[in-house]
Amino acid sequence: MLTIHDLHVSIQGRPILQGIDLAVKPGEVHAIMGPNGSGKSTLAQVLAGRSGYEVTRGEVTYLDHDLLALAPEERARAGLFLAFQYPLEIPGVANVQLLRTALNAVRRARGQEEMDAFDFLEYVKDKLALLEMDDALLYRAVNEGFSGGEKKRNEILQMAVLEPRLAILDETDSGLDIDALRVVAHGVNVLKGADQAIVLVTHYQRLLDHVVPDYVHVLSEGRIVCSGDRDLALELEEKGYAWLNDEAAHTEPHP
Amino acid sequence: MTTDTLYTEALARIASPGWLADGRRLALDRYLASGLPDTRDEDWRYTSLEQLERQALRIPDAGADTMLAIEDYPGALMAFADNRLIWQDTRLPTRMLGTLEDAEAPVRYGLGTLSEDSALAQLNLALWQEGVCLHAPAVYRPRLPVFLRFAAVQAEVMLHPRVLVVMEPHSDAILVEHYLADGDAPHWQNAVAEIFLKPGAHLTHIRLIEGGEGATHTHLVSVHQGRDSQYRGLTLSLGGRLVRQDIQVTLADEGAEARLDGLFVADGRRHVDHHLRIDHAASHTTSRTTWRGMASGRGRGIFDGRVLVRHGTLQADARQDSRNLLLSPHAEIDAKPQLEIYSDDVKCGHGATVGRLDEDALFYLASRGIDPATARDMLLLGFADQALGLADDAGLRDWLQPRLAAALPVLPKAANTREVRP
Repeated sequence: MLTIHDLHVSIQGRPILQGIDLAVKPGEVHAIMGPNGSGKSTLAQVLAGRSGYEVTRGEVTYLDHDLLALAPEERARAGLFLAFQYPLEIPGVANVQLLRTALNAVRRARGQEEMDAFDFLEYVKDKLALLEMDDALLYRAVNEGFSGGEKKRNEILQMAVLEPRLAILDETDSGLDIDALRVVAHGVNVLKGADQAIVLVTHYQRLLDHVVPDYVHVLSEGRIVCSGDRDLALELEEKGYAWLNDEAAHTEPHP
Repeated sequence: MTTDTLYTEALARIASPGWLADGRRLALDRYLASGLPDTRDEDWRYTSLEQLERQALRIPDAGADTMLAIEDYPGALMAFADNRLIWQDTRLPTRMLGTLEDAEAPVRYGLGTLSEDSALAQLNLALWQEGVCLHAPAVYRPRLPVFLRFAAVQAEVMLHPRVLVVMEPHSDAILVEHYLADGDAPHWQNAVAEIFLKPGAHLTHIRLIEGGEGATHTHLVSVHQGRDSQYRGLTLSLGGRLVRQDIQVTLADEGAEARLDGLFVADGRRHVDHHLRIDHAASHTTSRTTWRGMASGRGRGIFDGRVLVRHGTLQADARQDSRNLLLSPHAEIDAKPQLEIYSDDVKCGHGATVGRLDEDALFYLASRGIDPATARDMLLLGFADQALGLADDAGLRDWLQPRLAAALPVLPKAANTREVRP
């Protein structure tokens, strides 16, 4: 589904990613972990198509697309979703308006009919319930005045509405209390299917207690230095990231 | 023909009862003594009315048919087209809402007493034909909004609509003025509204300026507020080639509060100029000004807001904000909030921002599958929508919002419009 080959990315001439290789198949959950500044968020942003990043080498294939050649909205319509680490506030734009506009853009791309306001409300009701969100949040401006936890839930609500093929969750667990974490993780688990893949970008392993990864990759200084299964995350939790640099040489990255 | 001759001849063609005719002649003399304001005047340095000198504008022909369909209004409507009253709702008694000639208030309060300093208002006082008086008796609170619709239909006409509002103690009303034109032919609407708020009176006053490429719209609103009165004004300058709005508010007695909200769209080659003067002439008075503007194409928007706090007043509380979006390299916005404070015991603040559309927000919307043009429209509408707070309170958001959406600047489309199937 997603194949990243030898990806190098710079910001203003400064190399951030220095040769990422990663393959994600349908149905898989991958966790990308690593210390601050290792390039985790850069990877997520580059996959979603944010401008300001310079890809200096490598390629990314998503389904049958050359992902890097697509505009951000085209990636989204092709089923790629990024849950933002810092969701934007958009004053004056109602949450429901964003959700429906986005859904209809994606539906048009899938060759489906657009949903009118009435059908959409029916559709979104279940999604709200899944994330234990109040209907009133639909009519508030996007993320404006939302608590940190509400913003993160709202990201997963957008994911639930858009039903992406590949969801990249960037530090979705940060800023969540334990109850909110459980709700968000439950939402993600419900949305996960045999056709969908999830990439969790996270500093801590606590989200991984709830959304269990098939593979864990450790990013350090712009490279995947170590890959393994869920136990790797637990090991990291115990030992921290410092030991990585010594071990990196001995570990084979996941293909 | 000079404009002076033009205006003098126009006055000769207006039939008026004697008590009005004298006032008209006096006003014309006052106007002729000063002439149209020009850019040497500090208050007019951004805006030239030169084009009015080049257009042979006339008072509309009395007999001409004015064909302009009237849409539905969610309230009691008085509609004018080229100076003729073409519709009057009968749900409000005419002694409360009627023409100026027939009303009693002008006799009691005088016309022009709140607008003596303005040459354009003097010209209006000489030449007005479509005049409305809204006179709310004490403690009267009609829930029905009052709509005044002033339409320019024929080409090359000048209209001088005049509105007098007297809100007796503890009355409360919603007044909407809607200015529009049929097509893009050149014309001039030069409107004046004088508003008296007696103690405890409330007025919500919405003005919607639409109009084509040929429209020149000049407008003075002058408000005099008594004790504990509240004026809530929303000015939406959405159309017209040249728009100049003057808003003067005198907080004349303790407890008076004014809230002035505004929104302008200066797109294409439109020029939109707003001058606000808020006079805190008494202690314990409050004013809040929030003005939003967007300029695109070669449009130009001006916000010049001055708050004066008089010597000897206590605890005036004033806040002015001007928030602007500059959407093209050739557009221009001048934001000048100013405080003039002659008292030590005040709470005042002001701020002005001029920015672009937020790139991060655009990316956020794009990452949800929304194309760039739609994303920009959403952000523009979101920005503008925040100006409609007073319309919410008046229950008129649904009436205004489609008009607002239709008036938003159309930005150049991005080249990338491919569709990608999953």
